[in-house]
Amino acid sequence: MIAAIRPDSWNLPLFLHVLGAIVLAGAVASVALASAPAVALRGLPFRILTLVAVPSWLLMRLTGQWIDSKEDIPGDPTWLGIGFTVSDLGLAVLLVATATAWWAQKRPGLRWPRQAAGGLAFLYLLALAVAWWAMSAKPGA
Amino acid sequence: MSKYEWALFLHITGAFLLLGGAVIAGVFNVAALRRERPSEIATLLQLTRWGVAAVLIGVLMTLGFGLWLVDIVGYGWGETWIVLSLVLWLVSNALGGIGGGRDKRTRLLAERLAAEEDGPDPELQMRLRDPVSLALSWGSGLAALVILALMIWKPGA
Repeated sequence: MIAAIRPDSWNLPLFLHVLGAIVLAGAVASVALASAPAVALRGLPFRILTLVAVPSWLLMRLTGQWIDSKEDIPGDPTWLGIGFTVSDLGLAVLLVATATAWWAQKRPGLRWPRQAAGGLAFLYLLALAVAWWAMSAKPGA
Repeated sequence: MSKYEWALFLHITGAFLLLGGAVIAGVFNVAALRRERPSEIATLLQLTRWGVAAVLIGVLMTLGFGLWLVDIVGYGWGETWIVLSLVLWLVSNALGGIGGGRDKRTRLLAERLAAEEDGPDPELQMRLRDPVSLALSWGSGLAALVILALMIWKPGA
């Protein structure tokens, strides 16, 4: 119903926000897959994180702020809080995952950095799923 | 959650699976273009299958829950954005299906070469860079992206 009454000026930031979130989810899933124990692809998780995941996080976060500035949502609804929390804590998770993926690239003999990067990517993917539930179903709206 | 909220959440989940799966397939396809050893290329092309599986689930969810949403909200079936989206949904699936078949043959070749000498192979490199296969796969993703834009702008609504 909200979509039907949304002003046209919100469409571009919303499109870029959703696009950024989708690319981020795909990139994070790719990192988790490329870090799996059976996959010997040195350096790939680090490149996906730096070239795809972090830029798409920036696109999602900045355009999310752009929409927020236009929308002027009253109060502090739960769904918005979940979205901001997953987004902002997610940057820390992404940066730690990137650091461990970089370490895994430098020290291919060590298993734990790659497993840590893959595990963090998987956890962040789950958090993103919670965020897209909150942003679409808008509990507490 | 109301019926509308469930339908919207599941429809958007389908969009995340469809386009997110396309990102997964795209990431590993691009990575395969940068490799020469058939075993590495085979591994990357095997990983694209996770993306393809997500795309297939997303294709069904976007259509099913999208049609349910049209019914719940009361949009007209003849509205421009709905008709265009359904046409592009068909185009995207057709392109992806044909491109996917060609990609599967490339993966099987990489797996065969990996089991043999595992050395650089010109035919494998040529297939990976085949412009028709690349155009089909990227065209399918582009059509899905245009559907996302239609869902947001809703021209003719």
